[in-house]
Amino acid sequence: MSAEGGVQYSKIAEIKGPLVIVDDVDNAAFDELVEVETKDGERRLGKVLEVGNGKAIVQVFEGTTGLSISGTNAKFVGKVMEMPVSKEVLGRVFDGLGRPKDGLPDPIADKFIDINGEPMNPEQREYPKDFIQTGVSVIDGLMTLVRGQKLPIFSGSGMSHNLLAAQIARQASVVGTDDDFAVVFAAIGVQYSEAEYFRRSLEESGALKRSVLFLNTADDPAIERIITPRVALTVAEYLAFELGMHVLVVITDMTNYAEALREISAAREEVPGRKGYPGYLYTDLSTLYERAGKLNGKKGSVTQVPILSMPSDDITHPIPDLTGYITEGQIVVGRDLFRQGVYPPINILMSLSRLMKDGIGEGSTREDHGEISNQVYDAYSRAQEVRALAGIVGKAGLTEIDLKYLDLGDTFEKEFLTQATDENRTIEETLTLMWKIVSKLPKNEITKIKDKYVEQYYKEE
Amino acid sequence: MNERHPLANSALEQTIDKILNQTEKEISSNIESALTDSYQTLDDSVPKLEQEYDKIVADGKKEADKIEKQIMGSSDIEARNKHLMALEEAVDKVFTQALDQIANTDRSGDYSNLIKSLLDESTKILGTTEVVVFTNAKDKDAVQSALPNYPGSELSSETIDCLGGVKIQSKDGTMTFDNTIDARIERLKPLIRKEIAAKFGVSN
Repeated sequence: MSAEGGVQYSKIAEIKGPLVIVDDVDNAAFDELVEVETKDGERRLGKVLEVGNGKAIVQVFEGTTGLSISGTNAKFVGKVMEMPVSKEVLGRVFDGLGRPKDGLPDPIADKFIDINGEPMNPEQREYPKDFIQTGVSVIDGLMTLVRGQKLPIFSGSGMSHNLLAAQIARQASVVGTDDDFAVVFAAIGVQYSEAEYFRRSLEESGALKRSVLFLNTADDPAIERIITPRVALTVAEYLAFELGMHVLVVITDMTNYAEALREISAAREEVPGRKGYPGYLYTDLSTLYERAGKLNGKKGSVTQVPILSMPSDDITHPIPDLTGYITEGQIVVGRDLFRQGVYPPINILMSLSRLMKDGIGEGSTREDHGEISNQVYDAYSRAQEVRALAGIVGKAGLTEIDLKYLDLGDTFEKEFLTQATDENRTIEETLTLMWKIVSKLPKNEITKIKDKYVEQYYKEE
Repeated sequence: MNERHPLANSALEQTIDKILNQTEKEISSNIESALTDSYQTLDDSVPKLEQEYDKIVADGKKEADKIEKQIMGSSDIEARNKHLMALEEAVDKVFTQALDQIANTDRSGDYSNLIKSLLDESTKILGTTEVVVFTNAKDKDAVQSALPNYPGSELSSETIDCLGGVKIQSKDGTMTFDNTIDARIERLKPLIRKEIAAKFGVSN
């Protein structure tokens, strides 16, 4: 930071949606931070989107409501937007632009870091392979999260993804190591009650002291949502790569982020892509998701769990579709299970963690983890087929083994999938439950597990 | 009253004894089997009880850990927040005193060099010397004497409220650069806070 910059321009050519077009600008730079001052002396932040021909297009984060061409000034600050970071950010609550929201002063900064982050050198990336325990059985057992992974949760409007997000943030931990662990939680465009729930939930569970919260509520200007995930990831990168912590970043709801992006794109009169989202949506999302990872020679890691609600539960919608191309698997929240009152209502047959195989097994979780997981997937899939069959021929038409699969499906949903929001299960407890489910089948139906593990863990009822 | 035959009496007694013995044996055997059964039941319930006991202890331990984490977490946060507030108060005091000192700085001697360097910097950033210069009442003389070095510049008759320094505006009024001491402090405030905190022994 220097005393340079700070020229204020008063010739506003146009105000269009969230954009202010400033005339006769000489020295503005792309992405430069701008302070827009209203007639009444109110200051709003923005950034330069385009410069050229003596004009600068400024995107105002806090919206342009109340701004007029005469009397509005734009001060080009001479630097890009930066987030002050230090270890002191842990336990703090910030708004969507990284300003304190907990009544405490700005943190004393150790560094000021560009919120756009530095691209990770692909050659320096380390393959993620260490287990993160979320305490949620279905995730730990069947779609294990590993440090440095980006594993999104695809949900739908009104479902319990926010409860799940808060539970993961409260309970997540790294096992088998003394390394520090932190959670960075970014809420984008959530209701005030939800934001309050996240804050209280972390505070009451004692997890706030190892967490940083960024809360952009639904009544905050939509454009702020472009910044929220970036400031959150900047803090996460600092904690991970400067302080050596393992950081889990939970971002909810990425759909609100994409909609803010669409709003800006429309205001800039860009050619719209699918469903009106800009053609660069994939590129833009990747600039966020690709900030997860581990680096060679650095102790910490950034793991991301972005949550997005699929409009009309449509998994082919551009947001989940493009997210799925970038991330390493997905956890899908199912509407049917949600309607049955199952929590967390995760549809395991549509979910997958692509990096799970490297984070489980002997030395990470337990030697039988991979095989028991395959067997549970297989058995539950068969249970679903039997359910469909029972719907046609009735239970009386089912064979004895079909009935066992039917029973297994019910037990899976009632005892394994269903979990209280404050129930934190260890990986051992999760694996024991998985064996309890598989033990509902006769031994000859267990085809995906080595005999030695069957002998060790199978307990016939 | 009829007297019974002695043999009949003895047979009756024997029968009674026999029945009594048989009943006694049956009762004893029943008692023994009940005892064995109850021991068996007791033995069988021990592992279940142990399991139940272990579960209650484990659940209790989990709950205790949870409560401990809650208490530790909130007290840590509370202590940290108090520390932050105290530090901020101290930093603010230092700031206030420093601003007072700056406001009362002697305007003679090197001060005119400061004004000159502020004017140099400002005209360079705006890219023109065709500017109107604003300053406070205390600095007016120092600014006025430096202006002949900037052709086309003029001092505004209006004064501004600031600690010192200059604010310049292009003559068409479209560009302004605030190079007052207040604005400079504001720009560098995060760094200055860090320096002050370091003096108090707080480093990150």
